[in-house]
Amino acid sequence: MPLSTNSQIELTNVSQSFETQQHQVVLFQDLNLSIQQGQSYAIMGPSGSGKSSLLMLASGLEKPTQGKATYLTNEQVQPLEALRKDIGFIFQQFHLLPELDALNNVALPLKLRGQKGAEQKARQWLEKVGLGHRLTHKPKQLSGGEQQRVAIARALVFEPRFIFADEPTGNLDAVSAKEVTEILFSCCKEHGAGLVLVTHSEALAEQAESLLMFKDGQCSWIRQSNQEPCHVQ
Amino acid sequence: MFSNTLRLAWQLHHQEKGSVYNRSLRWIQSILMVFIVTLSLTSESVQDYLNNNLQNLLGADLVLSQSHPLSQAQWAELKGLSKNAINTQQITATLTHNGQWQRATLKAVGEDYPLQGEMKTSSALGEEAVSTAVVPAEGEIWLDPRLLSSLSVDMGDTLMIAQQAFIVSRVLHHEPDRLMEGHNVDMRALINRNDLPGLNVADDNMHYRYLVLASKSQTHAIINWQKTHLPAARIHHKQGAHPLALFWKRTENFIGLASVVLFFMAAIAIQQIAQVKMKKEQFFTAVCLSLGASRASGVQIALIKWVLSILSMLPAVVFFCTLCHWLIVQWLASNLIQLEWQFSLSRFIEPLLASMLIFAVFQAPVWMALKQSSVRQLVYNSHNKGSALVSIGCALLVLVGVAATYSDNGLLTVMVLGAMLSCVALMLLSSWVSLTLGEKLTSRHSGLVPFALFMMKQRLLTKTTQILGVGLCAFLLLFTLMLLRDIGNTMQGYKRQHDGNLMVSQASEAQMRDVILWADEHGAELRQSKPFMHAKLIAVNQQRLEDFADKPSGSLATLQSAIRLHWTDVVPHNNRVVEGTWWQPSEPDWQQISVEEEVMSDLGLQLGDRLTFYIGEQSVEFTIAASHVYTPGAGSITFWIQMPPSALSHLQAPRYYMASLELAPSAFTRLSDLWQAHPSLRMVPMKEMIARFDNLLAMVTRVVSGFALLIISLAGIVIVSSVHALEANERKKNSVIMSFGLSRGTCLRVNGIEWLTTALIAAAGAIMGTWVAGLLIYQSQFSMNYQPDVPWLLTTLAIIVLVVMALGLIASRTSLNSSIRDLMQE
Repeated sequence: MPLSTNSQIELTNVSQSFETQQHQVVLFQDLNLSIQQGQSYAIMGPSGSGKSSLLMLASGLEKPTQGKATYLTNEQVQPLEALRKDIGFIFQQFHLLPELDALNNVALPLKLRGQKGAEQKARQWLEKVGLGHRLTHKPKQLSGGEQQRVAIARALVFEPRFIFADEPTGNLDAVSAKEVTEILFSCCKEHGAGLVLVTHSEALAEQAESLLMFKDGQCSWIRQSNQEPCHVQ
Repeated sequence: MFSNTLRLAWQLHHQEKGSVYNRSLRWIQSILMVFIVTLSLTSESVQDYLNNNLQNLLGADLVLSQSHPLSQAQWAELKGLSKNAINTQQITATLTHNGQWQRATLKAVGEDYPLQGEMKTSSALGEEAVSTAVVPAEGEIWLDPRLLSSLSVDMGDTLMIAQQAFIVSRVLHHEPDRLMEGHNVDMRALINRNDLPGLNVADDNMHYRYLVLASKSQTHAIINWQKTHLPAARIHHKQGAHPLALFWKRTENFIGLASVVLFFMAAIAIQQIAQVKMKKEQFFTAVCLSLGASRASGVQIALIKWVLSILSMLPAVVFFCTLCHWLIVQWLASNLIQLEWQFSLSRFIEPLLASMLIFAVFQAPVWMALKQSSVRQLVYNSHNKGSALVSIGCALLVLVGVAATYSDNGLLTVMVLGAMLSCVALMLLSSWVSLTLGEKLTSRHSGLVPFALFMMKQRLLTKTTQILGVGLCAFLLLFTLMLLRDIGNTMQGYKRQHDGNLMVSQASEAQMRDVILWADEHGAELRQSKPFMHAKLIAVNQQRLEDFADKPSGSLATLQSAIRLHWTDVVPHNNRVVEGTWWQPSEPDWQQISVEEEVMSDLGLQLGDRLTFYIGEQSVEFTIAASHVYTPGAGSITFWIQMPPSALSHLQAPRYYMASLELAPSAFTRLSDLWQAHPSLRMVPMKEMIARFDNLLAMVTRVVSGFALLIISLAGIVIVSSVHALEANERKKNSVIMSFGLSRGTCLRVNGIEWLTTALIAAAGAIMGTWVAGLLIYQSQFSMNYQPDVPWLLTTLAIIVLVVMALGLIASRTSLNSSIRDLMQE
């Protein structure tokens, strides 16, 4: 069942930098960004430009050096830390637990939350991503594309409001990447989850409703859907 | 080329030495090295001491001793074979004074004493001992300081022994012929030989020692003469081995054998560490290969790094070995008087090399896995886990090697290793059953506990090794602290119930008659009374005992002296026949015996073997017809060797009794009457036996506690190593849990549940093991059910659980510090 789509992540004048031995490296400055639940966002840019840092910041896992990050949900403004329970992640290396089969990997977030009927729900999600016949296979018995589909099911099974994906097709061949992209976007859309992904793949970024590009120390919107412009100095 | 390799290895060694896996490995190796080297140093010190003891405390070049005097002709022959010879006589007597008594060795010497070395005495307690050339005058007695204090005697007091008065005239500090001082801690007294007839001591209670001055060739001639003329006599000479040498070798072997458990735990920890080490070494070798270097360079560097790592440990190892050696020597010096600690670096070499060989075998699977390294591993980001079979094979090789090195007795080795294997098997089984059941029962449920149990079951091998490490350590601690204490208490009560409160360990027929009269007079109850005669085993199947059995064993050590030979037609109530057939009362064949099972095993005897005993003054051959064991429930007086009563008519030897009595407390003060009449009567009140047993128990507890300390250290390292081996997986697991929107606190709770389960299974296993051990010991020794102290057990359980949880969580703190960013960066 789709979630109500009234949540939003607000980054206001945020900057991110880190210190090295000699000097301070600024990744981005005074960035304003609003991430809507139910929308999809792609972040592109060269390595080291700050894409992953923006992902960590937007997911509330890291704090900005400057600026304000808030979470708007149920018409309440909360600090971004409150977002923790409403997010799921998908990684380039899949990161399935090797000891668990596909079914148990997907059921894991539900079991940890103490939810009943975890395996039944996990089975439904695996069928949804086309792996209903691979329930008892362990990660090493699955192809890269299949592992990432399991990871997508695992990230969505507990119905988070936002999904953050770091290079979700980075380790896949073209055919698998296409399949995974389709599943990822359709599942997020179907369940009303916001999707924020970092990628080098133009084909993947093309599927997102909004595209943010880091280039030459600048950050700018390439494409936007009903979105305030990103202000960067 | 090699110098470059050496430089690189040196550089890498310095970079890697601070890593957790290298630190854990160094701890394990250091603990094992300290153990092996300290054991070896202590053993050498003791053997040196014994050798020195033999050279300086024999009081002669050769000492011949036996329980009856030499005939005139034999004495003349002995003198003819030597430069000079004198004789001394001694009895074990109980001296009394003002209602107090003390057992002591009473030695009677002539004017010709000492033959070699010097005697030291003083005129009062606390005064300096001086060399003394004279011996006690007739009517005088010299007592050692402990005996003086024990009897509360002052200089000039009169001691009555067998109605004969002796004036205490000097304090006896040292006699030069006290070879047995090393283990004979009896108090001592010296009298003039001419006073001995007045004591009316029966010949059979007397021990005769002949001190001889002889050259090397004369010594050999006397030994040959003894073999043919006095086969039951014992000879100690300066060219031979100390009588205690075999005993100490056995002690060293037993401790060495027990160390198999240390090596077993080390094998577990090293196996965990090897997983990490193998991965890192393979990665390095693969990088070397990708840069055009040969695989041999990678292996060379790994070997050099290992040698450097061992060398870097040596200063600390030498320091701690020296310290431990010094402490143990101080402790042993209370029994081995004048045992001195000496430092000798050369003595470290052999045990250190042996330790290094062991560690090299442990490390071999890592080096062998380097052969599988290839650039392919870098491309696929994989590593070869090495052959599990090789790892297990190497660990087994070490364990078998250690067991074989220290094994001198098949039965003991099987018993020690069997007990350890049972304990390990019990722990493995309980781990597997608990985790499997836990996982099955909770598989349909959600929550942190089912998840933690599920993950533990998936990592069964690692979790089992942790449980094994913790469990073995807890078992040893519980066994030491609780079971030994309980057994001590129970044994006291039990002995009292079955054996009374006074044990007569040797009474001649005349003495026994008086004991029975005295018992009637004082309302004491005679609980048991069993006859015996002394017999010295001299040959097995016509082969001299020394040639037949050369492996050290408790039985052989005892059989070097005369043993007690009991006769009975029926199997005693406290014995059970385990092999062969006991004789019938009317059977004409009197030359058959039953031998205790452990003696059979220690000496490698079989039914049908022929044993030659020297009894009285004749050699008698018996055939082993049966083998028996002690069974509890009918008194503790039992004999190793038993024969049919029909043999008595063919043997001319004094007969004695062992007996036990129950006395009223007031009757104890009247015991001195018996000793006044019969100083050589050997009786021990139960409270003295209990005190001796308590001393023994305290010593055993100290040794086991020291051993448990090593086990605790290794258990800690096993925990740290296993956590470290799984750290990458744990970090990933924690990061993945957080990626589901769960907090770090959830990871901590999952981890806490895992450690709680580990600790509970280990503690339950240890308590179960202690309980089973208690039941077995109680069943075999007392035919009773073991009743442990439940509050004590539960407290111990709680302490073990808390300590293990704390240690586990501390060791896991790195993996708990993981983050989702880690997953992105992989």
